[in-house]
Amino acid sequence: MTTPEPSTSRPPLWRDVRVLRVAGQVAAVVVVFLILQWLIGNLVTNYGRLNISFDFGFLNQPTQFQIANHPQFNPRSPVWRMVLVGVKNTALAGVFGIALAGVLGLIIGIGRLSQNWLAAKLSAAYVEFFRNIPPLVVIVFFAFAVFLYGPLPNLRQAIEIPLFGTGRTALILSNAEWGVPGMRSTGNLLAFGVSALVAVVAAAVVWRWRTRLNERSGEPHHRVLWSLGVLLAILVVSYVALGGPLVIDWPQLSENRRRIASGFSINSGFMSVAGALGLYTASHVAEIIRGSILAVPWGQTEASFALALTNFQRYRFVVLPQAMRIAVPPLINQALNLIKNTSLAAAVGYAEITTLTQTSIGNGRPAVQSVVILMVVYLGFSLLVSLILNIVNRRLQLVTR
Amino acid sequence: MQRKLLALLTVLAVMAVACTTGDPSADTVPATDTGTETTPAETTPDTGDTETTGTTEPAVLPQDEGGILAAVQDRGQVRCGVNDVLPGFGIVDENGEYSGFDIDFCRAVAAGVLGDPEAVEFVPLTAEARFTALQGGEIDVLIRNTTWTATRDGQEGATFLHTTFYDGQGMMVPASTGFTTLEDLADATICVLQGTTTELNLTAVFNARGIPFNPMTHADNETLQPAYESGQCEAWTSDVSQLTAFKASIEEAGGEEQYIMAEVFSKEPLGPAVPDGDSAWAQAVDWSVLATITAWEFGLTSENIGSYDGDDPNILNFLGADGFDPGLGLDPEFNVRIIESVGNYQEIFERHLAPIGLELEGSPNDLWTNGGLMYSPPYR
Repeated sequence: MTTPEPSTSRPPLWRDVRVLRVAGQVAAVVVVFLILQWLIGNLVTNYGRLNISFDFGFLNQPTQFQIANHPQFNPRSPVWRMVLVGVKNTALAGVFGIALAGVLGLIIGIGRLSQNWLAAKLSAAYVEFFRNIPPLVVIVFFAFAVFLYGPLPNLRQAIEIPLFGTGRTALILSNAEWGVPGMRSTGNLLAFGVSALVAVVAAAVVWRWRTRLNERSGEPHHRVLWSLGVLLAILVVSYVALGGPLVIDWPQLSENRRRIASGFSINSGFMSVAGALGLYTASHVAEIIRGSILAVPWGQTEASFALALTNFQRYRFVVLPQAMRIAVPPLINQALNLIKNTSLAAAVGYAEITTLTQTSIGNGRPAVQSVVILMVVYLGFSLLVSLILNIVNRRLQLVTR
Repeated sequence: MQRKLLALLTVLAVMAVACTTGDPSADTVPATDTGTETTPAETTPDTGDTETTGTTEPAVLPQDEGGILAAVQDRGQVRCGVNDVLPGFGIVDENGEYSGFDIDFCRAVAAGVLGDPEAVEFVPLTAEARFTALQGGEIDVLIRNTTWTATRDGQEGATFLHTTFYDGQGMMVPASTGFTTLEDLADATICVLQGTTTELNLTAVFNARGIPFNPMTHADNETLQPAYESGQCEAWTSDVSQLTAFKASIEEAGGEEQYIMAEVFSKEPLGPAVPDGDSAWAQAVDWSVLATITAWEFGLTSENIGSYDGDDPNILNFLGADGFDPGLGLDPEFNVRIIESVGNYQEIFERHLAPIGLELEGSPNDLWTNGGLMYSPPYR
């Protein structure tokens, strides 16, 4: 202990960076906790004063109203079933919207960088148009322009587009609902599902095998062709062996022409929400794609020119893989935004979770508890989407050396 | 090693300090809460800022300091939750002026409680937001074509008062379709406003009769009407009073002729609602509304009430003559103020609901002496 104590030369506690750092975090947690306690305390106290209890027992009470375009929904089923229907519809609109936004955004983003004057200008016009309009306006405009005041007749006079030469209807178009061919089970669906799962696993195994083979021997892997082949082969064999567990269900109007009796029906609310949000978000996705492509060093493009790659090859194998690494994190945000924006569907009467919750509140269910459930649902969606896309992100990033 | 240990100890110490300083402050939240309860005088809203204390710090609801009646009289204004898009009941014109049947009852309450029918702050509310606004103390009274139901009385923290309009749900179809009964609408898509009891009634009546149907909901009438007119849905269900108003406006605008089915399939008593737990305020609002019915019964109108010279003791009581005061906490002559400013029930009805095509005579809204349901307890 002859050497001077290092600690004596250290600054006092209130100036020690290491201490302050921890103390700051502890203080932040305490503040957040206090605010939450204050908010919840307020709620519970005032609810008690008004003689309203803060419980979730209403979830087991009957829903009591019919959900639009869900004839199979029984109004006597409990409220939690209604919540599930809402979650399903939100997910549907979200998935289709994200798919549309992704594909369209990719095309337009690349289009904006195109050497073709027309393609570049059209893409730029698209982006500037859609990204400068609030999503609610896009949804309502879409619903008005395509359905309410659109060219399509109502369901009783619906346009039935026949499948050429078969006497069947391929498509039913009206201003309220569209009918498209769907799938109908004829039994053995479970067995077919299991074989489909086997097919997917087999395809994955083949994929890895071809990849390894390519890495070992340099032989071209053709893994897409191989995997798809295996997948289809298993599916076709099991389909035939199970005696056709799924058949195509052609769309057909009911006799009184008031509903679409068979096939798969898509209602105008869904198309307005998924379509409008897809178009809207595509403008943001396009800008992200364009920015990410521009962020890839120009030398990479020059190198691919030097290798005499075609335009497609340059994008597919050189530019896009690097651009995607940059693009994925902001794309996660866009996906989350799109899912949250589906809550605007109330404007066009699509039965997603927010619309149903509003209806439920209007019919006497407690507002605060219902909104809490709504928050939990959206939080769940957002966490799930960011989890999936974060895994994608990590895989993309891992490729770097 | 020693340094590490020291650092760890200091961290622990800081955390302990943070926790001990954190805990008492956590306790002060409920502590101040109870403080306001025991010493209400400290937070009496004498500065007229009850609105801000009412919304940001709901712990100080007006009920805690002498009730809403005192708070309203202090503020000199009644905050009335209303509809602003329903012709006949509550609508805003291009100058921002509110008018309508429900609006006049807001004015009646203001005239009764404050002596001035203009002392109203109208708060336009959507169907979904109305009860939250009432619970949160944003409004003092809700007069927004709201149906009195058991659930709303029980779970929404609202107390419903005397019904101002007996309505019922009906069904409207374009006259050219020739549909006359609900059975004609099997499998049909039916337009209905979202978030109202209308949806529940629709489901109930169609399920009870085993008629399949598909509801099409919209959040407001501005999108529901084009949906109906473009044929997205074949029928439109709502309260008959509203359908009558929309029928008139569609036909006036040159649209198709409309038919409202004879069958009325629900009871919709529309009336004012006040927050639970303040009976003085509830009575003040109730008797302000009842004044219009009592005056109608007595044959008193906005024109003749000032010149009454008979000696019917019941009417003299009503006029507050000879200092008669039932002790409702209102000015003894509050009835006179109400009738002078908005008129009796019949006048209000004829002014706002007759123009949209509603009949008073022979309807449930007629006076009990004419076979209707409008009946006021005696004013004595």
